[in-house]
Amino acid sequence: MNGLRWLIYKDGLLLLRDKAGLCMMFLMPMLLALIMTYLQDSTFNAIHETRIPLLLLNADKDSLGMAIERQIGASGIFSVATGIDGQPAERDALIKAVGRGDFMMGIIIPENATNHIRKNVKRYVAGAFSGKNISLKSDSVQVEIFIDPVTKNSFRSTLISTLREYAVRTESDFLFREITAEVNKHSPLPAPDIRLARNKVILKEQYAMPDKAKTIPNSTQHNIPAWGMFAVFFIAVSLSGNLIRERGDGSFTRLRTMPCPYYLYMSAKVIIYSLVCLLQLAAIFLMGLFLFPLLGLPALTIGNGWLSLLGVGLCSALAAIGYGTIIGQIASSHQQAAVFASVSVVIMAAIGGIWIPVFVMPLPMQWLSACSPLNWGLEGFYDILIRGGNWRALLPECAASSAFFILCAIAAVVYDKKKRIDI
Amino acid sequence: MRTAIEINRLCKTYRGSKTPAVDQLTLTVPEGAVFGLLGPNGAGKTTTIHILCGLRSFDSGEISIAGYSPKRRWKDIRRRIGFVPQDIALYPSLTAYENLQVFGGLMGLRGKLLKNRINELLHLFGLEHGKHRLIEHYSGGMKRRINLIAGLLHRPEILFLDEPTAGVDVQTKNLMLDNLKTINREGHTIIYTSHYMEEAETLCTQIALIDGGKTICTGTPSGLIAQTKGCDKLEDVYLQLTGKKLRDE
Ligand SMILES: Nc1ncnc2c1ncn2[C@@H]1O[C@H](COP(=O)(O)OP(=O)(O)O)[C@@H](O)[C@H]1O
Ligand SMILES: [Mg+2]
Repeated sequence: MNGLRWLIYKDGLLLLRDKAGLCMMFLMPMLLALIMTYLQDSTFNAIHETRIPLLLLNADKDSLGMAIERQIGASGIFSVATGIDGQPAERDALIKAVGRGDFMMGIIIPENATNHIRKNVKRYVAGAFSGKNISLKSDSVQVEIFIDPVTKNSFRSTLISTLREYAVRTESDFLFREITAEVNKHSPLPAPDIRLARNKVILKEQYAMPDKAKTIPNSTQHNIPAWGMFAVFFIAVSLSGNLIRERGDGSFTRLRTMPCPYYLYMSAKVIIYSLVCLLQLAAIFLMGLFLFPLLGLPALTIGNGWLSLLGVGLCSALAAIGYGTIIGQIASSHQQAAVFASVSVVIMAAIGGIWIPVFVMPLPMQWLSACSPLNWGLEGFYDILIRGGNWRALLPECAASSAFFILCAIAAVVYDKKKRIDI
Repeated sequence: MRTAIEINRLCKTYRGSKTPAVDQLTLTVPEGAVFGLLGPNGAGKTTTIHILCGLRSFDSGEISIAGYSPKRRWKDIRRRIGFVPQDIALYPSLTAYENLQVFGGLMGLRGKLLKNRINELLHLFGLEHGKHRLIEHYSGGMKRRINLIAGLLHRPEILFLDEPTAGVDVQTKNLMLDNLKTINREGHTIIYTSHYMEEAETLCTQIALIDGGKTICTGTPSGLIAQTKGCDKLEDVYLQLTGKKLRDE
């Protein structure tokens, strides 16, 4: 244990003296997290909650008008205004406002629309029960819709079908009510309210995506853990450089002649670099917790997932250390290792959904992203931050990261023996 | 007299190389000796030392170090040996003192003992000033001395020195050789490689001349000079036995 203490002391000092390396490991990912959160904030908002501005002039103020107003508001697709600049608007003003692009859509529900429908229905039902033939078309209601030409077709049809659905629903409500009333007049037993029979066909929506990809974080919830993972894996550059320098300056050879087995030598590095990884994560997460809200970005919320975060952080740190070790073993020069490590981490980050989140990737890439060790950690963090998963949910990711570390460690030991002792 | 090191028909061919680096080498190093392993570049000196320190595997033959056969006893051997590599093996971004702390600490020295030992050796080699400077700011000769001290801290039974004086000035060299003699008198066995014959002549109690991985002759310096006709310096013996051809290694 005394030996391990000295090795940790040595690796700690080496790390502290490498100011440029420290900058790369701490400042760069923090800056990236900040910049990317800023850049992506509006994009994430668009995915989440960009609503289509819609101006509604509801002159009806009765069942139909109210139902349409309520339903359009509740759909979550539109942000509904009932006037311009707080003033109730006229038809002409509405057309102008939509034309200017202030609103993407304008809807006018005419006065007495509900009454018209009600009257029609009454007439129809009464006629039907008395055996007369009455055309329904006698007095139709016209709801006007004005659409900014740039509006996407999909939104347009969403709106039209929403309107149509509520017109039909209102109409059939009256119809049922009238029929019930008529039936009750003629029958000794009260007829049940037929309206209850509605909504028997349920449409169930599902995403055709790998299971996990469908939870959508906000910009902070994505970028904080994402760049945290990037920082963690970026230690591969420092670690591989450290290993190669140590071999190059001969100190590794000297250590070999001392009572310092390879596992002890590596343990010190695992301890020091795990510590670095946890500090990196702490710095980035604290930035998300306290700095982001000051800058007008969504604040990170962790709840009581601290311990799980630590677990995922440690497992990811191990994976990163394994990766750095294997590069440090195989690369023959410091430069080679630095270039390979940084480029490969950037590529794994891209695949793993660090730059662009997995849920916006095309489907084949979503499957591929599950191969990136950075993705395992990121998914682990997602589990905690947005899916509210408990430790069980983290198990697959943590197991994958730890297995990756063990594989790398075995490969490093075998490579070292084969290439440096048995040569 | 007990033997510090026994090498019996040791063979080592590097992978991918046709000629063996060490070829049926047989040597005995008595305890308390300053044993010079001398030979031209590429003779196999470093390879031999590396095998004896457990840094390389070997193909065949037997070795025994401090009475241990290294089959499963490297742990015991490592505590008893000190190794001073041919190339400087120190952390450039650590100070001299920190380097020595780490290496001494790993050899099992602790606390006051470690501190005193480091300061004693720094004093002996004239480096007590500037011990808190980074190694990368040291001159070549100073690095050589720290490199040597790092192998001495734990008072090893057997000290392996691979060309410890390569590239240092005469003053530093004399200081290092004087100190090595003192250390030897304190009971440490020293195995020393060099191709500086003058140096070997003054320092070594026994020498083995090797070339092409084979032993050419062994004996005391004065014995070898007397044996070889027309020679009054070790260098003459060396040139007569290894030839004047240039070595590329
Ligand atoms: N790592 C290596 N791989 C292959 N050949 C090597 C290696 N190290 C040394 N050799 C070869 O082994 C021979 C002995 O080298 P070495 O022991 O370094 O000689 P010396 O130390 O006496 O100058 C040389 O021919 C050299 O080329
Ligand atoms: Mg050599």
